[in-house]
Amino acid sequence: MKALIQKDVYVLWKQMKIFLLVMLVIMVGNGSFGSVFVVVWCSMMPYTALAYDERCKWDQMAAMMPYSPRDLVLSKYVLGWLCAGAASAVVLAVQAIIRALHLSVATGTPLAVLMSFCASASVLAITLVIFLVCGAAGALGTVTISVDQTAGGIQSLFGFFMLILPVAAVALTAVSIPLSMRLYTARR
Amino acid sequence: MNAIELNHIHKSFGGFAIQDLSLTVPSGTICGLVGENGAGKSTTIRLALGALRPDSGAAAVLGTDVSSPAFTGVKEDVGVVLDEAYFPETLNALQVGKILASTYRQWEQGTYESYLDRFSLPVRKPFKDFSRGMKMKLAITAALSHRPKLLVLDEATSGLDPIVRDEVLEIFNEFTREEDHSILISSHIVSDLEKLCDYIAFLHQGRLLFCQEKDRLLEDYGVFVGTAEQAQSLLPEAVVGREARDYGGVRALVKRGMVPETLALERPTVEEIILFIVKGENRR
Repeated sequence: MKALIQKDVYVLWKQMKIFLLVMLVIMVGNGSFGSVFVVVWCSMMPYTALAYDERCKWDQMAAMMPYSPRDLVLSKYVLGWLCAGAASAVVLAVQAIIRALHLSVATGTPLAVLMSFCASASVLAITLVIFLVCGAAGALGTVTISVDQTAGGIQSLFGFFMLILPVAAVALTAVSIPLSMRLYTARR
Repeated sequence: MNAIELNHIHKSFGGFAIQDLSLTVPSGTICGLVGENGAGKSTTIRLALGALRPDSGAAAVLGTDVSSPAFTGVKEDVGVVLDEAYFPETLNALQVGKILASTYRQWEQGTYESYLDRFSLPVRKPFKDFSRGMKMKLAITAALSHRPKLLVLDEATSGLDPIVRDEVLEIFNEFTREEDHSILISSHIVSDLEKLCDYIAFLHQGRLLFCQEKDRLLEDYGVFVGTAEQAQSLLPEAVVGREARDYGGVRALVKRGMVPETLALERPTVEEIILFIVKGENRR
Protein backbone atom coordinates (compact mmCIF):
# COMPACT_ATOMS: atom_id res chain seq x y z
CA MET A 1 0.00 0.00 0.00
CA LYS A 2 2.93 2.30 0.72
CA ALA A 3 3.96 2.14 -2.95
CA LEU A 4 0.47 3.06 -4.13
CA ILE A 5 0.27 6.08 -1.81
CA GLN A 6 3.79 7.05 -2.80
CA LYS A 7 2.77 6.97 -6.48
CA ASP A 8 -0.31 9.13 -5.83
CA VAL A 9 1.70 11.64 -3.81
CA TYR A 10 4.28 11.94 -6.62
CA VAL A 11 1.54 12.45 -9.20
CA LEU A 12 -0.49 14.89 -7.12
CA TRP A 13 2.52 16.86 -6.01
CA LYS A 14 3.60 17.40 -9.62
CA GLN A 15 0.12 18.51 -10.63
CA MET A 16 -1.06 20.36 -7.58
CA LYS A 17 1.81 22.66 -6.66
CA ILE A 18 0.01 25.72 -8.04
CA PHE A 19 -3.24 24.67 -6.38
CA LEU A 20 -1.51 24.47 -3.02
CA LEU A 21 -0.49 28.10 -3.38
CA VAL A 22 -4.07 29.09 -4.24
CA MET A 23 -5.30 27.06 -1.26
CA LEU A 24 -3.04 29.04 1.02
CA VAL A 25 -4.49 32.30 -0.34
CA ILE A 26 -8.05 31.02 0.15
CA MET A 27 -7.23 29.83 3.65
CA VAL A 28 -5.79 33.17 4.68
CA GLY A 29 -8.35 35.30 2.89
CA ASN A 30 -11.60 33.50 3.67
CA GLY A 31 -11.43 32.73 7.36
CA SER A 32 -13.35 29.68 8.49
CA PHE A 33 -15.07 29.21 5.11
CA GLY A 34 -11.67 29.09 3.46
CA SER A 35 -10.39 26.63 6.04
CA VAL A 36 -13.33 24.27 5.56
CA PHE A 37 -12.98 24.67 1.79
CA VAL A 38 -9.32 23.70 1.87
CA VAL A 39 -9.85 20.66 4.11
CA VAL A 40 -12.79 19.40 2.01
CA TRP A 41 -10.87 20.04 -1.21
CA CYS A 42 -7.84 18.14 0.04
CA SER A 43 -9.95 15.24 1.30
CA MET A 44 -11.18 14.87 -2.29
CA MET A 45 -7.66 14.48 -3.70
CA PRO A 46 -8.18 10.72 -4.19
CA TYR A 47 -10.70 11.59 -6.94
CA THR A 48 -7.99 13.55 -8.74
CA ALA A 49 -5.59 10.64 -8.25
CA LEU A 50 -8.20 8.25 -9.65
CA ALA A 51 -8.62 10.47 -12.72
CA TYR A 52 -4.88 10.36 -13.37
CA ASP A 53 -4.85 6.58 -12.88
CA GLU A 54 -7.64 6.21 -15.40
CA ARG A 55 -5.91 8.43 -17.93
CA CYS A 56 -2.74 6.31 -17.96
CA LYS A 57 -4.63 3.00 -17.49
CA TRP A 58 -2.67 2.37 -14.31
CA ASP A 59 -5.38 0.02 -13.02
CA GLN A 60 -4.60 -2.46 -15.82
CA MET A 61 -0.93 -2.48 -14.84
CA ALA A 62 -1.67 -2.55 -11.11
CA ALA A 63 -3.93 -5.59 -11.53
CA MET A 64 -0.86 -7.55 -12.68
CA MET A 65 1.42 -6.33 -9.90
CA PRO A 66 1.59 -7.69 -6.35
CA TYR A 67 -1.14 -5.41 -5.01
CA SER A 68 -4.23 -7.01 -3.50
CA PRO A 69 -7.66 -5.51 -4.34
CA ARG A 70 -7.78 -4.49 -0.67
CA ASP A 71 -4.54 -2.50 -1.03
CA LEU A 72 -5.70 -0.86 -4.25
CA VAL A 73 -8.99 0.31 -2.73
CA LEU A 74 -7.73 1.15 0.77
CA SER A 75 -4.79 3.16 -0.54
CA LYS A 76 -7.19 5.73 -1.97
CA TYR A 77 -9.04 6.03 1.35
CA VAL A 78 -5.78 6.37 3.24
CA LEU A 79 -4.65 9.00 0.75
CA GLY A 80 -7.89 10.94 1.43
CA TRP A 81 -7.37 10.69 5.19
CA LEU A 82 -3.74 11.77 4.89
CA CYS A 83 -4.66 14.72 2.67
CA ALA A 84 -7.50 15.80 5.00
CA GLY A 85 -5.23 15.36 8.03
CA ALA A 86 -2.39 17.32 6.46
CA ALA A 87 -4.79 20.06 5.32
CA SER A 88 -6.31 20.27 8.82
CA ALA A 89 -2.85 20.57 10.35
CA VAL A 90 -1.87 23.30 7.90
CA VAL A 91 -5.19 25.12 8.46
CA LEU A 92 -4.69 25.06 12.23
CA ALA A 93 -1.12 26.26 11.87
CA VAL A 94 -2.07 29.08 9.50
CA GLN A 95 -4.98 30.16 11.72
CA ALA A 96 -2.67 30.17 14.73
CA ILE A 97 -0.13 32.31 12.88
CA ILE A 98 -2.85 34.72 11.76
CA ARG A 99 -4.15 35.04 15.31
CA ALA A 100 -0.67 35.48 16.71
CA LEU A 101 0.13 38.22 14.24
CA HIS A 102 -3.32 39.83 14.63
CA LEU A 103 -3.60 39.93 10.88
CA SER A 104 -6.72 41.52 9.52
CA VAL A 105 -7.39 40.11 6.10
CA ALA A 106 -10.25 40.92 3.82
CA THR A 107 -12.79 38.19 3.36
CA GLY A 108 -13.99 37.10 0.00
CA THR A 109 -10.75 36.49 -1.84
CA PRO A 110 -11.92 35.99 -5.39
CA LEU A 111 -12.41 32.27 -5.83
CA ALA A 112 -12.50 32.91 -9.54
CA VAL A 113 -8.71 32.82 -9.26
CA LEU A 114 -9.06 29.20 -8.24
CA MET A 115 -11.71 28.48 -10.84
CA SER A 116 -9.47 29.82 -13.58
CA PHE A 117 -7.04 26.99 -12.80
CA CYS A 118 -9.69 24.35 -13.14
CA ALA A 119 -9.09 23.10 -16.62
CA SER A 120 -11.32 20.08 -16.65
CA ALA A 121 -15.03 19.79 -16.12
CA SER A 122 -14.50 17.17 -13.45
CA VAL A 123 -12.46 19.55 -11.33
CA LEU A 124 -15.16 22.20 -11.75
CA ALA A 125 -17.75 19.69 -10.65
CA ILE A 126 -15.70 18.81 -7.58
CA THR A 127 -15.29 22.50 -6.83
CA LEU A 128 -19.06 22.93 -7.02
CA VAL A 129 -19.57 20.03 -4.62
CA ILE A 130 -17.10 21.58 -2.22
CA PHE A 131 -18.93 24.90 -2.43
CA LEU A 132 -22.17 23.11 -1.63
CA VAL A 133 -20.58 21.33 1.33
CA CYS A 134 -19.00 24.51 2.63
CA GLY A 135 -22.21 26.49 2.00
CA ALA A 136 -24.21 23.87 3.86
CA ALA A 137 -21.71 23.98 6.73
CA GLY A 138 -22.03 27.78 6.82
CA ALA A 139 -25.82 27.62 6.71
CA LEU A 140 -25.84 25.06 9.47
CA GLY A 141 -23.66 27.32 11.58
CA THR A 142 -26.00 30.28 10.99
CA VAL A 143 -29.10 28.26 11.86
CA THR A 144 -27.44 26.93 15.00
CA ILE A 145 -26.41 30.41 16.10
CA SER A 146 -29.91 31.86 15.47
CA VAL A 147 -31.55 28.96 17.31
CA ASP A 148 -29.04 29.46 20.07
CA GLN A 149 -29.90 33.15 20.37
CA THR A 150 -33.71 32.94 20.05
CA ALA A 151 -34.21 29.95 22.27
CA GLY A 152 -31.96 31.27 24.94
CA GLY A 153 -28.93 29.08 24.81
CA ILE A 154 -30.01 25.93 23.03
CA GLN A 155 -26.65 24.65 22.09
CA SER A 156 -27.74 21.08 21.83
CA LEU A 157 -28.49 21.34 18.11
CA PHE A 158 -24.94 22.33 17.32
CA GLY A 159 -23.66 19.68 19.70
CA PHE A 160 -25.93 17.15 18.09
CA PHE A 161 -24.53 17.88 14.65
CA MET A 162 -20.98 17.90 15.95
CA LEU A 163 -21.58 14.42 17.29
CA ILE A 164 -23.69 12.96 14.52
CA LEU A 165 -21.59 14.14 11.56
CA PRO A 166 -18.33 12.41 12.55
CA VAL A 167 -20.29 9.28 13.49
CA ALA A 168 -22.07 9.39 10.13
CA ALA A 169 -18.75 9.89 8.36
CA VAL A 170 -17.20 6.89 10.11
CA ALA A 171 -20.30 4.75 9.43
CA LEU A 172 -20.42 5.74 5.76
CA THR A 173 -16.70 5.03 5.38
CA ALA A 174 -17.15 1.64 7.05
CA VAL A 175 -19.87 0.80 4.52
CA SER A 176 -18.06 2.42 1.62
CA ILE A 177 -14.78 0.49 1.91
CA PRO A 178 -16.20 -3.06 1.51
CA LEU A 179 -18.60 -1.75 -1.15
CA SER A 180 -15.67 -0.25 -3.11
CA MET A 181 -13.75 -3.52 -2.82
CA ARG A 182 -16.73 -5.48 -4.07
CA LEU A 183 -17.24 -3.08 -7.01
CA TYR A 184 -13.53 -3.16 -7.81
CA THR A 185 -13.49 -6.98 -7.86
CA ALA A 186 -16.71 -7.08 -9.90
CA ARG A 187 -15.09 -4.91 -12.59
CA ARG A 188 -12.86 -7.87 -13.46
CA MET B 1 5.97 -27.44 -12.95
CA ASN B 2 4.29 -25.38 -15.63
CA ALA B 3 4.85 -21.64 -15.64
CA ILE B 4 1.33 -21.01 -16.97
CA GLU B 5 -1.64 -23.33 -17.20
CA LEU B 6 -4.98 -22.28 -18.65
CA ASN B 7 -7.70 -24.92 -18.56
CA HIS B 8 -10.88 -24.59 -20.63
CA ILE B 9 -11.18 -20.85 -20.11
CA HIS B 10 -14.30 -19.11 -21.36
CA LYS B 11 -14.74 -15.36 -21.19
CA SER B 12 -17.46 -13.51 -23.04
CA PHE B 13 -17.64 -9.77 -23.72
CA GLY B 14 -20.83 -9.70 -25.75
CA GLY B 15 -19.50 -9.38 -29.28
CA PHE B 16 -16.29 -11.27 -28.56
CA ALA B 17 -15.48 -14.36 -26.56
CA ILE B 18 -12.47 -16.43 -25.57
CA GLN B 19 -13.67 -19.97 -26.13
CA ASP B 20 -12.42 -23.10 -24.42
CA LEU B 21 -8.87 -21.87 -24.18
CA SER B 22 -6.38 -24.38 -22.85
CA LEU B 23 -2.75 -23.36 -22.95
CA THR B 24 0.31 -24.61 -21.12
CA VAL B 25 3.68 -22.90 -20.94
CA PRO B 26 6.19 -25.36 -19.45
CA SER B 27 8.69 -23.92 -17.01
CA GLY B 28 11.98 -22.95 -18.64
CA THR B 29 10.49 -22.30 -22.08
CA ILE B 30 9.49 -19.32 -24.21
CA CYS B 31 6.00 -19.39 -25.65
CA GLY B 32 4.97 -16.96 -28.38
CA LEU B 33 1.34 -15.95 -28.62
CA VAL B 34 0.39 -15.02 -32.15
CA GLY B 35 -2.86 -13.78 -33.59
CA GLU B 36 -4.45 -10.99 -35.58
CA ASN B 37 -5.66 -7.75 -33.96
CA GLY B 38 -8.60 -8.56 -31.71
CA ALA B 39 -7.83 -12.29 -31.63
CA GLY B 40 -7.73 -12.19 -27.84
CA LYS B 41 -3.99 -12.12 -27.07
CA SER B 42 -4.17 -9.32 -24.49
CA THR B 43 -7.33 -10.81 -22.99
CA THR B 44 -5.57 -14.16 -22.67
CA ILE B 45 -2.69 -12.49 -20.87
CA ARG B 46 -5.06 -10.65 -18.52
CA LEU B 47 -6.90 -13.90 -17.81
CA ALA B 48 -3.63 -15.71 -17.17
CA LEU B 49 -2.57 -13.12 -14.62
CA GLY B 50 -5.91 -12.91 -12.85
CA ALA B 51 -6.58 -9.34 -13.99
CA LEU B 52 -9.76 -10.67 -15.60
CA ARG B 53 -12.00 -13.29 -14.08
CA PRO B 54 -13.06 -16.05 -16.51
CA ASP B 55 -16.72 -17.03 -16.88
CA SER B 56 -15.55 -20.63 -16.52
CA GLY B 57 -12.30 -22.56 -16.47
CA ALA B 58 -9.20 -22.17 -14.33
CA ALA B 59 -5.82 -20.53 -14.60
CA ALA B 60 -2.64 -21.17 -12.64
CA VAL B 61 0.69 -19.36 -12.73
CA LEU B 62 3.85 -20.85 -11.21
CA GLY B 63 1.69 -23.53 -9.64
CA THR B 64 -0.77 -21.17 -7.93
CA ASP B 65 -4.40 -20.67 -8.87
CA VAL B 66 -4.70 -17.05 -10.01
CA SER B 67 -8.07 -16.64 -8.29
CA SER B 68 -6.61 -17.52 -4.87
CA PRO B 69 -5.44 -14.79 -2.46
CA ALA B 70 -2.00 -16.44 -2.47
CA PHE B 71 -1.53 -15.34 -6.07
CA THR B 72 -0.89 -11.73 -4.98
CA GLY B 73 2.39 -12.96 -3.47
CA VAL B 74 3.23 -15.03 -6.55
CA LYS B 75 3.05 -11.88 -8.69
CA GLU B 76 6.37 -10.92 -7.04
CA ASP B 77 7.88 -13.52 -9.39
CA VAL B 78 6.12 -12.27 -12.51
CA GLY B 79 7.48 -9.42 -14.63
CA VAL B 80 4.89 -7.83 -16.88
CA VAL B 81 5.28 -5.59 -19.91
CA LEU B 82 2.02 -4.57 -21.52
CA ASP B 83 1.46 -3.08 -24.97
CA GLU B 84 1.99 0.34 -23.43
CA ALA B 85 3.83 1.28 -20.27
CA TYR B 86 0.98 2.30 -18.04
CA PHE B 87 2.94 4.39 -15.56
CA PRO B 88 1.56 7.81 -14.62
CA GLU B 89 2.93 10.17 -17.21
CA THR B 90 4.19 12.86 -14.84
CA LEU B 91 6.59 10.46 -13.16
CA ASN B 92 10.21 10.04 -14.14
CA ALA B 93 12.36 6.90 -14.15
CA LEU B 94 13.76 7.72 -10.72
CA GLN B 95 10.28 7.94 -9.18
CA VAL B 96 9.12 4.80 -10.99
CA GLY B 97 12.11 3.02 -9.46
CA LYS B 98 11.22 4.24 -5.96
CA ILE B 99 7.59 3.14 -6.33
CA LEU B 100 8.60 -0.29 -7.59
CA ALA B 101 11.18 -0.62 -4.83
CA SER B 102 8.30 -0.23 -2.36
CA THR B 103 6.20 -2.67 -4.40
CA TYR B 104 8.53 -5.63 -4.88
CA ARG B 105 10.33 -7.24 -1.97
CA GLN B 106 12.99 -8.57 -4.35
CA TRP B 107 13.60 -5.25 -6.07
CA GLU B 108 17.19 -4.77 -7.24
CA GLN B 109 18.01 -1.09 -7.57
CA GLY B 110 21.43 -1.89 -9.07
CA THR B 111 19.87 -3.99 -11.85
CA TYR B 112 17.32 -1.24 -12.53
CA GLU B 113 20.01 1.40 -12.79
CA SER B 114 22.19 -0.78 -15.02
CA TYR B 115 19.30 -1.36 -17.45
CA LEU B 116 18.48 2.38 -17.44
CA ASP B 117 22.08 2.97 -18.34
CA ARG B 118 22.15 0.17 -20.94
CA PHE B 119 19.04 1.61 -22.66
CA SER B 120 20.32 5.20 -22.27
CA LEU B 121 17.13 6.25 -20.52
CA PRO B 122 17.09 9.68 -18.87
CA VAL B 123 16.48 9.44 -15.14
CA ARG B 124 14.76 12.75 -14.48
CA LYS B 125 12.84 13.31 -17.70
CA PRO B 126 9.05 13.02 -17.21
CA PHE B 127 7.62 9.85 -18.65
CA LYS B 128 5.19 11.83 -20.84
CA ASP B 129 8.13 13.23 -22.82
CA PHE B 130 9.46 9.73 -23.61
CA SER B 131 9.13 8.30 -27.12
CA ARG B 132 7.16 5.06 -27.44
CA GLY B 133 10.39 3.12 -27.71
CA MET B 134 11.74 4.72 -24.53
CA LYS B 135 8.50 3.98 -22.69
CA MET B 136 8.70 0.33 -23.66
CA LYS B 137 12.36 0.19 -22.63
CA LEU B 138 11.44 1.58 -19.20
CA ALA B 139 8.66 -0.99 -18.86
CA ILE B 140 11.09 -3.79 -19.79
CA THR B 141 13.66 -2.40 -17.35
CA ALA B 142 11.07 -2.38 -14.56
CA ALA B 143 9.92 -5.92 -15.37
CA LEU B 144 13.46 -7.30 -15.25
CA SER B 145 14.56 -5.61 -12.03
CA HIS B 146 12.75 -7.65 -9.41
CA ARG B 147 14.18 -11.09 -10.16
CA PRO B 148 11.10 -12.50 -11.90
CA LYS B 149 10.81 -16.17 -12.77
CA LEU B 150 8.20 -15.53 -15.42
CA LEU B 151 8.07 -12.69 -17.92
CA VAL B 152 4.74 -11.89 -19.55
CA LEU B 153 5.20 -9.59 -22.50
CA ASP B 154 2.30 -8.17 -24.46
CA GLU B 155 3.58 -6.59 -27.68
CA ALA B 156 6.67 -5.59 -25.74
CA THR B 157 8.86 -5.20 -28.82
CA SER B 158 6.46 -3.10 -30.86
CA GLY B 159 7.59 0.46 -31.35
CA LEU B 160 11.23 -0.45 -30.94
CA ASP B 161 13.66 0.08 -33.79
CA PRO B 162 15.26 -3.10 -35.22
CA ILE B 163 18.58 -2.59 -33.42
CA VAL B 164 17.00 -2.11 -29.99
CA ARG B 165 14.52 -4.90 -30.73
CA ASP B 166 17.38 -7.24 -31.38
CA GLU B 167 19.06 -6.14 -28.16
CA VAL B 168 15.83 -6.67 -26.21
CA LEU B 169 15.36 -10.14 -27.72
CA GLU B 170 18.91 -10.95 -26.65
CA ILE B 171 18.04 -9.81 -23.10
CA PHE B 172 14.99 -12.10 -23.14
CA ASN B 173 17.21 -14.93 -24.36
CA GLU B 174 19.67 -14.25 -21.52
CA PHE B 175 16.75 -14.33 -19.09
CA THR B 176 15.79 -17.88 -20.06
CA ARG B 177 19.31 -19.21 -19.54
CA GLU B 178 18.23 -19.90 -15.96
CA GLU B 179 16.34 -23.15 -16.22
CA ASP B 180 13.32 -22.10 -14.15
CA HIS B 181 12.79 -18.86 -16.07
CA SER B 182 9.95 -18.74 -18.59
CA ILE B 183 8.43 -16.20 -20.98
CA LEU B 184 5.01 -15.76 -22.52
CA ILE B 185 5.28 -13.20 -25.27
CA SER B 186 2.66 -11.92 -27.67
CA SER B 187 3.72 -10.09 -30.78
CA HIS B 188 2.64 -9.16 -34.28
CA ILE B 189 6.23 -9.51 -35.39
CA VAL B 190 6.20 -13.24 -36.03
CA SER B 191 9.83 -13.25 -37.17
CA ASP B 192 10.81 -12.13 -33.65
CA LEU B 193 8.86 -14.98 -32.16
CA GLU B 194 10.36 -17.46 -34.60
CA LYS B 195 13.81 -16.30 -33.51
CA LEU B 196 13.02 -16.46 -29.80
CA CYS B 197 10.36 -19.02 -28.98
CA ASP B 198 10.32 -22.72 -28.15
CA TYR B 199 6.53 -22.91 -28.47
CA ILE B 200 4.11 -21.06 -30.72
CA ALA B 201 0.46 -20.62 -29.74
CA PHE B 202 -1.89 -19.29 -32.36
CA LEU B 203 -5.11 -17.53 -31.41
CA HIS B 204 -7.76 -16.80 -34.00
CA GLN B 205 -11.07 -15.11 -33.19
CA GLY B 206 -10.87 -16.07 -29.52
CA ARG B 207 -9.97 -19.73 -30.15
CA LEU B 208 -6.59 -21.35 -29.76
CA LEU B 209 -5.94 -23.06 -33.10
CA PHE B 210 -2.69 -24.63 -31.98
CA CYS B 211 0.03 -24.51 -29.36
CA GLN B 212 2.99 -26.50 -30.52
CA GLU B 213 6.72 -26.73 -30.26
CA LYS B 214 8.15 -24.45 -32.93
CA ASP B 215 10.54 -27.03 -34.38
CA ARG B 216 7.80 -29.64 -34.48
CA LEU B 217 5.51 -27.15 -36.21
CA LEU B 218 8.10 -26.46 -38.87
CA GLU B 219 8.63 -30.20 -39.35
CA ASP B 220 4.94 -31.04 -39.53
CA TYR B 221 4.13 -28.65 -42.32
CA GLY B 222 5.60 -28.06 -45.75
CA VAL B 223 4.92 -25.67 -48.59
CA PHE B 224 3.91 -27.25 -51.88
CA VAL B 225 4.61 -25.21 -55.00
CA GLY B 226 3.33 -26.57 -58.29
CA THR B 227 0.65 -26.52 -60.92
CA ALA B 228 -3.08 -26.70 -60.25
CA GLU B 229 -3.13 -30.23 -61.73
CA GLN B 230 -0.40 -31.39 -59.33
CA ALA B 231 -2.29 -29.80 -56.45
CA GLN B 232 -5.42 -31.74 -57.42
CA SER B 233 -3.57 -34.98 -56.71
CA LEU B 234 -3.06 -34.03 -53.06
CA LEU B 235 -5.45 -35.42 -50.46
CA PRO B 236 -7.93 -32.66 -49.52
CA GLU B 237 -7.28 -33.24 -45.78
CA ALA B 238 -3.54 -32.80 -46.38
CA VAL B 239 -4.02 -29.23 -47.62
CA VAL B 240 -4.26 -26.70 -44.81
CA GLY B 241 -4.54 -23.66 -47.05
CA ARG B 242 -3.73 -22.68 -50.58
CA GLU B 243 -3.31 -19.66 -52.79
CA ALA B 244 -3.29 -19.21 -56.55
CA ARG B 245 -0.14 -17.93 -58.20
CA ASP B 246 0.59 -16.52 -61.64
CA TYR B 247 0.32 -18.75 -64.74
CA GLY B 248 -2.00 -21.28 -63.10
CA GLY B 249 0.43 -22.11 -60.32
CA VAL B 250 -0.58 -23.06 -56.80
CA ARG B 251 1.17 -22.61 -53.49
CA ALA B 252 -0.24 -24.63 -50.60
CA LEU B 253 0.57 -25.44 -47.00
CA VAL B 254 0.35 -29.18 -46.55
CA LYS B 255 0.76 -31.65 -43.71
CA ARG B 256 4.01 -33.46 -44.48
CA GLY B 257 2.76 -36.75 -43.08
CA MET B 258 -0.13 -36.86 -45.54
CA VAL B 259 1.72 -36.28 -48.79
CA PRO B 260 4.06 -38.66 -50.63
CA GLU B 261 7.66 -38.41 -49.43
CA THR B 262 8.79 -38.07 -53.03
CA LEU B 263 6.99 -34.74 -53.31
CA ALA B 264 9.44 -31.88 -52.85
CA LEU B 265 8.24 -29.43 -50.23
CA GLU B 266 9.70 -26.10 -49.15
CA ARG B 267 10.35 -25.41 -45.48
CA PRO B 268 7.70 -22.91 -44.29
CA THR B 269 8.17 -20.02 -41.90
CA VAL B 270 5.93 -19.70 -38.85
CA GLU B 271 4.34 -16.67 -40.52
CA GLU B 272 3.46 -18.70 -43.62
CA ILE B 273 1.94 -21.46 -41.51
CA ILE B 274 -0.22 -18.95 -39.68
CA LEU B 275 -1.32 -17.13 -42.82
CA PHE B 276 -2.28 -20.36 -44.58
CA ILE B 277 -4.15 -21.63 -41.54
CA VAL B 278 -6.15 -18.38 -41.33
CA LYS B 279 -6.95 -18.59 -45.05
CA GLY B 280 -8.04 -22.20 -44.61
CA GLU B 281 -10.19 -21.27 -41.60
CA ASN B 282 -11.83 -18.38 -43.41
CA ARG B 283 -12.75 -20.60 -46.35
CA ARG B 284 -14.64 -23.01 -44.05
